[in-house]
Amino acid sequence: MDKGSKILERMIHAANIRQKVIASNIANSDTPGYKGKDVKFNNLLGNEMKLAATNPKHIGGGKSAEVSSRSEVEDNLSWEDRNNVELNVEVAKMTENSLLHDTAVTILSSKIRMYKNALRTK
Amino acid sequence: MDIFKVSASALEAQRIRMNTIASNMANAQTTKTGAGGPYVRKDVVFSVMPVTSNPAEKLEGVKVREVVGDNKPPITIYDPGHPDADENGNVSMPDINVIEEMVNMMMALRAYEANVRAFNMSKGMYQKALELGRQ
Repeated sequence: MDKGSKILERMIHAANIRQKVIASNIANSDTPGYKGKDVKFNNLLGNEMKLAATNPKHIGGGKSAEVSSRSEVEDNLSWEDRNNVELNVEVAKMTENSLLHDTAVTILSSKIRMYKNALRTK
Repeated sequence: MDIFKVSASALEAQRIRMNTIASNMANAQTTKTGAGGPYVRKDVVFSVMPVTSNPAEKLEGVKVREVVGDNKPPITIYDPGHPDADENGNVSMPDINVIEEMVNMMMALRAYEANVRAFNMSKGMYQKALELGRQ
């Protein structure tokens, strides 16, 4: 539809990937030698949101948009079983991620509702 | 939907761990087993179990690789009246620290709860996404 929807779609996709990684971390919180992973979402807004800066006072655009699905190993301290997953941190990350996902879905929903209203004939 | 398999595998693994701890505590005073000798304390060892065919997805579940017997030697107590006492009146008892088992059990419980939470959150996210476009 429009650029905004594309960004929201990307956000939802990104939150889905991150949820998978966090769920794996939580599942393996007691596995010897397991290293926790995380996904970094740099530049999520990216090119889609780049505003045309026709005046130096305009807000600059974002950077290039790549949702990296590459998991990065976290560099926490390891316990003696060489596992470095912090259960409470993972649960907190999961809550945050779920809120991010729900926010994106809610905004996308209201966007769709706006289109529906606009398309209504009477 | 593979994400549910991750959480479910962890629930299963933690449940096996809980069973092992329960049998350790139940047998803290067991002096005779089918294999002869006192009960040997058991422990579970987890290992990573890939649950997806797509390696790019990084979905890693967990499984119980093996249930290992503890190599701690049994403790000997003097109790000549015990049916399993040797000729000197000594009985071999399993070296089980109930407090250690309790701590282990609480950790298993917390891990189980965290996985239930992960399961519910994933489910909530999918449900929310299904409501997209509904009015």
